[in-house]
Amino acid sequence: MAETTVDIIENEKGNTPKNIQRFLTFVSDNITFGVSTDYVIEIISSYMICTLPMVPDYIKGIINLRGQTIPIIDIRLRMGKMPQEYTDTTCIIILEINDISVGIVVDSVTQVQDIDLDRISPIPTQNQQELTSSMISREDGSVVLFLDCEELIRQ
Amino acid sequence: MDASMEGLLETYLFETNSLLDGLDELLINAEKIGDFSEDDVNEIFRSMHTIKGSSAMLEFNCLMEIAHHIEDLFFYIRENGIDSLDQTHKSELFNLMFKSTDKLRSEIEKVENNEPLETNIDSFVGEINGLLKKISGEGSDTADAKDGGKDAAPADGAKVSAIPDSAGDIPYFIHVYFEDGCGMENLRAFMIVNALQERELNFTYYPDDIDSNPDSAEKIIEDGFYIGFHLEEDLEKGATVVENSQNIRSYEMVENHEEHAPESPVQEEKTAASVHDTAAPAAASPAKNKSDAVPAKKKDTATHGAVKQDLISVNLSKLDALMALVGEIVITESMVTSSPDLQGLNLDNFNKSARQLRKLTDDLQDIAMSLRMVSVSGVFQKMNRIVRDMKQNLNRDVRLKIIGENTEVDKTIVDGIGDPLMHIVRNAIDHGIEENVEDRIAAGKDPQGEVILSATHTGSEVIISVSDDGRGMDTDAILAKAARNGILTKPESDYSQKEILMLLMTPGFSTNTEVTEYSGRGVGLDVVKKNVEAIGGVVSITSELGKGSCTTLKIPLTLAIADGMEISVGKSIFTVPISNIRQSFKATEDDIVLDPSGHEMIRCMDAFYPIVRAHELYNIPDACTRIEDGILMWVDASDKSYCLFVDKLIGEHQVVVKPLPPYLQQFHIKDSGISGCTILGDGNISIILDIAHVYEAARGIY
Repeated sequence: MAETTVDIIENEKGNTPKNIQRFLTFVSDNITFGVSTDYVIEIISSYMICTLPMVPDYIKGIINLRGQTIPIIDIRLRMGKMPQEYTDTTCIIILEINDISVGIVVDSVTQVQDIDLDRISPIPTQNQQELTSSMISREDGSVVLFLDCEELIRQ
Repeated sequence: MDASMEGLLETYLFETNSLLDGLDELLINAEKIGDFSEDDVNEIFRSMHTIKGSSAMLEFNCLMEIAHHIEDLFFYIRENGIDSLDQTHKSELFNLMFKSTDKLRSEIEKVENNEPLETNIDSFVGEINGLLKKISGEGSDTADAKDGGKDAAPADGAKVSAIPDSAGDIPYFIHVYFEDGCGMENLRAFMIVNALQERELNFTYYPDDIDSNPDSAEKIIEDGFYIGFHLEEDLEKGATVVENSQNIRSYEMVENHEEHAPESPVQEEKTAASVHDTAAPAAASPAKNKSDAVPAKKKDTATHGAVKQDLISVNLSKLDALMALVGEIVITESMVTSSPDLQGLNLDNFNKSARQLRKLTDDLQDIAMSLRMVSVSGVFQKMNRIVRDMKQNLNRDVRLKIIGENTEVDKTIVDGIGDPLMHIVRNAIDHGIEENVEDRIAAGKDPQGEVILSATHTGSEVIISVSDDGRGMDTDAILAKAARNGILTKPESDYSQKEILMLLMTPGFSTNTEVTEYSGRGVGLDVVKKNVEAIGGVVSITSELGKGSCTTLKIPLTLAIADGMEISVGKSIFTVPISNIRQSFKATEDDIVLDPSGHEMIRCMDAFYPIVRAHELYNIPDACTRIEDGILMWVDASDKSYCLFVDKLIGEHQVVVKPLPPYLQQFHIKDSGISGCTILGDGNISIILDIAHVYEAARGIY
């Protein structure tokens, strides 16, 4: 599914030279992820999450963002990792995906980076994780996995 | 083009629906008198003409055809006067008209649901034409003769004015002909003009009054539509626009070399005229009607103009956005004025301004709320129609009395009560009113049955009641039936009168052994109850054998703002609608009784009610677990009554109800007893509990 997402992005950006797109990179459980800045609305660090009963554990609850109620997903739990205490660097990235707003809790946000879409490659199937299926290796040898936003909100 | 079509469709549906509603009301009133007044005939004629025109424009042929034939029928009636019809014809006409509005409405519904329209309407059209033939009889000859005369006149007039006066100094023209009989040519031309304007082309057009003068449609049919350009490149761009427009029969690009222009339109005129001549006689009559309808339409705008200006229709989503924003302001206002930073400071001026701000935001909220309020008259008027139809088909003499139709309720609620009300009114007539007039006379009642539909305000609720003076409900029969259907949950003798009547609203209950067209399918009252509960209301029935029954709906005025009690459980804060709370009280461990399966119950007012512990239901840590530490809240929602155990009450607030984010719907959050949320003064979120669903959820886990 992620591949098609990338395809769409490529088409949209097809006319810009070298197929460059901006990605926000963040860290969750020592893995670096990237999410297209097209989806990112803002990053917030102070929050009061109102917990909701009877929902899966990865739904941390809802927050009030200037009057809008936004559901918060813990990316660690969503990917089946162990939960971790929230620290000073923990923050929430607010995404808007197909008119649906969600916030994701991540360990820390690193930077905004231009990434050449042509260099993105699929993840070898045996290493594939839920919510990601494409990746890129950077000059310094580190790897960025791309978050499949559409998959994140899929029912 | 697509976007503009969608906008058109929306306007079309709105306009046609309101026309049909108006027609229904008119027909009901006219039938009461048993006659159409001259105004009625004109009104019907005008409405049908409008429906025909706009349907044609959007290519809903079936709607257009029906409207067209009714228009013909009423054209005849208008010409010859309603008095030329005898009584049997009139009653036939009434029936036909009711049938027609139903048919139109069902087709409109199909348009709304994006279903294909019926294509074969011959039999229906035949019915209309049949009546027309019947009532016209020998009079038709003279009418035809009149047609001929009228037809010729405008054609002649048009020929003279065919050449655009300003043509001399414009070098290029596009000359457009629309498809024959596509209708509303002036608006189609206007759409082309709009499209051209979007391309920012420099052009003029003739006739130049297409948007204001309905007569221009006639001219365009006769002479075609001219678009003039100063530049050749504009002409070419214009041509592509025209090419992409719909319903164009032909177009040609004309270069205007002085004498050329006058010639070509005349030539075209001839071909147009010949087409006109060769068309079937049937085609001639709509054209005639069209020319005739123009003055009528003008009169229409003149008389209704003043009324229309007072009202605008606004997209509901815009209103919702406004409501949300106003809610925001109210919350932010209290966040600012009660900010902890201000504590201990003596700020006279600030306090003064803050009070002023509070007053203004309160006013703003009231006004914003009132925007959503609409009167229930629309829904009530529809009941007239139902009563009328049932009267005819069931052959019962009933009158409907409407009280308080100007009562205003939130728009979503008005939309929600239509169906339940219809069921109740049908039930009242079918089950309530005696079948035989003799029975009524024997009981000393007025031979004509009466159903009273009333609406009244009481504080934050509106009460809508449907009462009849029929035979009332036989509680013994209801009980026996319920026993037969196996829906009794306790011994028959334990049922109180009220409880027996509540049985009527149990799924699968219907006292009528015979299924009629109107009621008796056993889906009546339980659906009513469900629909009313969906908008936060309660249904109750009272009845006295032999005197009649009364069904009452208690509905909140609005769903957007509610009075709520804030409660805390552990660290979470919940809001319970005040309307659901009966009593809050402290209890001790000794008051608790266990039922055989270990569920806790407590005695309130001589009855035992189950206890639902909020912290257990929602798995909230650090909450009070001992009954002595917390507080019990006796709540009820329609037929469910129980006690909710919470930590403590925080206070009463008016809250702005916000729906939960759409992403969460997939987790069936509604089923866990959460109806929405609200933002508190300090910016935190409080979850609003849906008392009925909380109980269901609790039963699920126990």
